Amino acid sequence: MVRWQRGLWLFFLPSFGLLAVVLLWPLGYAIYLSFFDYYLGSDVRSFVGLGNYADLLTEGRLWNSMWTTILIAFGSVALEFIVGFALALALYRLHQSAKVFSVLLFLPHIVTPVVAALFLKWMLASNWGFIDATLLTFDIVPPDWLGDPIWAKISVILADAWVFTPLVMMVLYAALQGLDTSVVEAAQIDGANNWRVLRHIIVPALIPAIIFTISVRLMDVFRFFDIIYVLTGGGPGTATETITIYTYQLGFRMLEVGKASALGVITLIVVASLLLTINRVLNSIYRGGDQ
Amino acid sequence: MASLTIQHATKSFGGLEVLHGVDIQIADGEFVVLVGPSGCGKSTLLRLIAGLEDITQGEILIGDREVSHLHPKDRDIAMVFQSYALYPHMTVEENMGFSLRMRDVNLSERKDKVRASAEILGLTNLLGRYPRQLSGGQRQRVAMGRAIVRDPKVFLFDEPLSNLDAKLRVQMRSEIRELHKKLGTTIVYVTHDQIEAMTMADTIVVMRDGYVEQIGSPLDLYDRPANIFVGSFIGSPAMNMLEGRIGGDRQSFVSNRGTQIAFGAPVSPEADRKVILGIRPEDIGVSETGTPAMVRQVEPTGADLHVNLDLDGDGFTALFHERLPLEEGQNMGLKVLADQAHFFDPDSGKRIE
Repeated sequence: MVRWQRGLWLFFLPSFGLLAVVLLWPLGYAIYLSFFDYYLGSDVRSFVGLGNYADLLTEGRLWNSMWTTILIAFGSVALEFIVGFALALALYRLHQSAKVFSVLLFLPHIVTPVVAALFLKWMLASNWGFIDATLLTFDIVPPDWLGDPIWAKISVILADAWVFTPLVMMVLYAALQGLDTSVVEAAQIDGANNWRVLRHIIVPALIPAIIFTISVRLMDVFRFFDIIYVLTGGGPGTATETITIYTYQLGFRMLEVGKASALGVITLIVVASLLLTINRVLNSIYRGGDQ
Repeated sequence: MASLTIQHATKSFGGLEVLHGVDIQIADGEFVVLVGPSGCGKSTLLRLIAGLEDITQGEILIGDREVSHLHPKDRDIAMVFQSYALYPHMTVEENMGFSLRMRDVNLSERKDKVRASAEILGLTNLLGRYPRQLSGGQRQRVAMGRAIVRDPKVFLFDEPLSNLDAKLRVQMRSEIRELHKKLGTTIVYVTHDQIEAMTMADTIVVMRDGYVEQIGSPLDLYDRPANIFVGSFIGSPAMNMLEGRIGGDRQSFVSNRGTQIAFGAPVSPEADRKVILGIRPEDIGVSETGTPAMVRQVEPTGADLHVNLDLDGDGFTALFHERLPLEEGQNMGLKVLADQAHFFDPDSGKRIE
């Protein structure tokens, strides 16, 4: 029996080893570095304890990037969820012809985000971009999509939504396919109209998929980097500077690796607590605290 | 409570017609069972009545009101599904009260009605539980509770006992009968199990390939099946069928393989007519001077004895209530009385009166 147990550890080792190398070691190293005043390239590493954290939490730029992140994250996830869910429901109703539509709608997600962002940058370019050119033909003066602080935020949100709404749609569409249709029919016979069937039957049945989608998207959007980097680079000024853009600036522009590591750890804590809260709230709304 | 009229109901899916002008008249308070093999259209017909499928042609009336194209919620019907279709995130009480809530009945009245229905079905202790915390039989009962709470005009049951084990099925069968007696509501019940149909129905509708084959009381169908299909579908073990012709004296039958069966009295078809003879296994008697047969297999069920016989190469099943000392390979004589023989036309399959 003891030998058998020892044998089991051997099976566990490869995956644990892989996890340790790609996940635990970098994480531990980042936490370790966050306690040092350390510039990339310098040989000197001085221990500052929680100094980096104190510095970050007292400076305005962190809070500014935090609010920007929250705004963009909730804005884009809300948009992706509402549009994605609506599209998933539409596809669900379409039945047979749905397959063609789902492939078409999924296209933006197949493109690499950086490429999608470059494409959008051309679309949104002032005066001669596709969108501006189109609006100008109707004598509508377009806003400065990427140069105005407010429009830049909106553009970034729309760009993220353009790339990731198809993912949300597909996950929710797949979940809808697994729905017990007789439960929906029972509700119709019980007197529920379409809206009430959606609210009382379909949404509660999709809660696990909804929690999954929102969690994955929020996690992702808090690490949102590539599209913003290509579209605005965090600008104009710091209008679209999210935590990850700020972390990048700290680590690779200002070379303050210790501080950047501390910001990474803060991001981790914020995202983890946010996800736990969302998970609990959504679960308690629909499961009556039973689970 | 209300009567239910189905007039020339036709249903097509794309170009495929699955119901071909079905006419059924169901009286107020009647318990009607739609029975037939898989794919006969019985569930489709039930879904047409419920409004879960659009009728292609024809009319459905509940009472005097035409409901053919109304939304399910406006038909005043309740349905019990094969999978129970309980709302998994709601308690038993919420499940049962859902239809009342959708009709904006106030909370206290809702609670009263749910409790009254729960009492009828013995669910009072389970009101706080979730469906996943219930056994199959309890779920079935909750599904019925959800149907009766709102006092609809017609109950629809779609193979509600298929997911239960044999013992529970027998128990629920009588519970549904009891419930019908208590409430007196019109019931349309779909099943592929002819025993369920025979034991529960006031009237049975036998369906095949989208057509109604026969409508009648259970014993009517058993005693006077309208055609070969109904004859072999109703009754277990199934009716024996032998192809042949009536003897010149109209008192006997000769099968195509030459087996002769004497009835001891004249039968209805004319002499020398080609027929298919139907004999129920339980109508076969033993007689030393009767038709000779060889015992192939003996299957005692405890209560009865099922005997598979060989009649000159034709398979034949007999059911005896006595424990006859029969052995495989043994020869015996069979007796069939004239009034227990059924005759069908070989071309049309219809009963010969």
